Amino acid sequence: MATAQTDPHARSNFWKWFDAFRRAPGMWAYALNRLSAIGLTVYLFMHLIVLRTLTEGPQAYDDFVALVKSPVFVFGELVVVIGGVYHGLNGLRVALTAFGIGVPYQKHMFYAVLIITAVVSLVFGIHMFTA
Amino acid sequence: MLERSTAPKAGENTWLWLLKIISGVLVIVLLFVHLVVNHLVPTEGLLSYEEVIAYVTTPGIALMEMTFLVVVVSHSLIGLRSIILDLNPSPGVLRVVNWVLTLIGVAAVVYGIWLMQMLVAQAA
Repeated sequence: MATAQTDPHARSNFWKWFDAFRRAPGMWAYALNRLSAIGLTVYLFMHLIVLRTLTEGPQAYDDFVALVKSPVFVFGELVVVIGGVYHGLNGLRVALTAFGIGVPYQKHMFYAVLIITAVVSLVFGIHMFTA
Repeated sequence: MLERSTAPKAGENTWLWLLKIISGVLVIVLLFVHLVVNHLVPTEGLLSYEEVIAYVTTPGIALMEMTFLVVVVSHSLIGLRSIILDLNPSPGVLRVVNWVLTLIGVAAVVYGIWLMQMLVAQAA
């Protein structure tokens, strides 16, 4: 039995994280969760930092608001919404199955997560670019 | 298929795992409140300085936002720690990671409290 340490074809521990070839299907749920987590964390800290403009008076904040109404930023916000919806819904699935709830249906739950994320993304996308 | 050990990863902590789940659920609840109260309730969705100042002085808002901040920063950093654990850090590196993440968390919360009190003061 070749363990991760003795398998001559195994990559080093660091690079194994990026190995998408030998993952089971369910690992994609987790990989996407990790990815959205990183994206949301970046957004969180950016959000906290830019709120500092509020302390620099009305003009600074209004300038910032004018900036984020531009299409590039609106699209960025849509990406955050998509990542957040997926991460939250999949997170609920992970929490439920971790406590033994719905384990035989975890694949179904994952597909439901993907479908709901797609629908919400569409609704938000349309709303954000036509409102 | 790579053989993988099913033993818990070194560095994983039962309490942090539980905190991650609890904070995750709280994030969903508080994020919903945060978005409704920020974007749907005020006329301009808090996109003007005046609305923000009026907002932060509304009773209960400061408490809600600060609770949200603590919960979301905790969830984010505990989650980041799990991702770092995927990279199999040595115990020494992990100890540094724990300290850095804790410091970032404390700094973020302190910053949030400072910012909130600054804005409330600007309303006076």
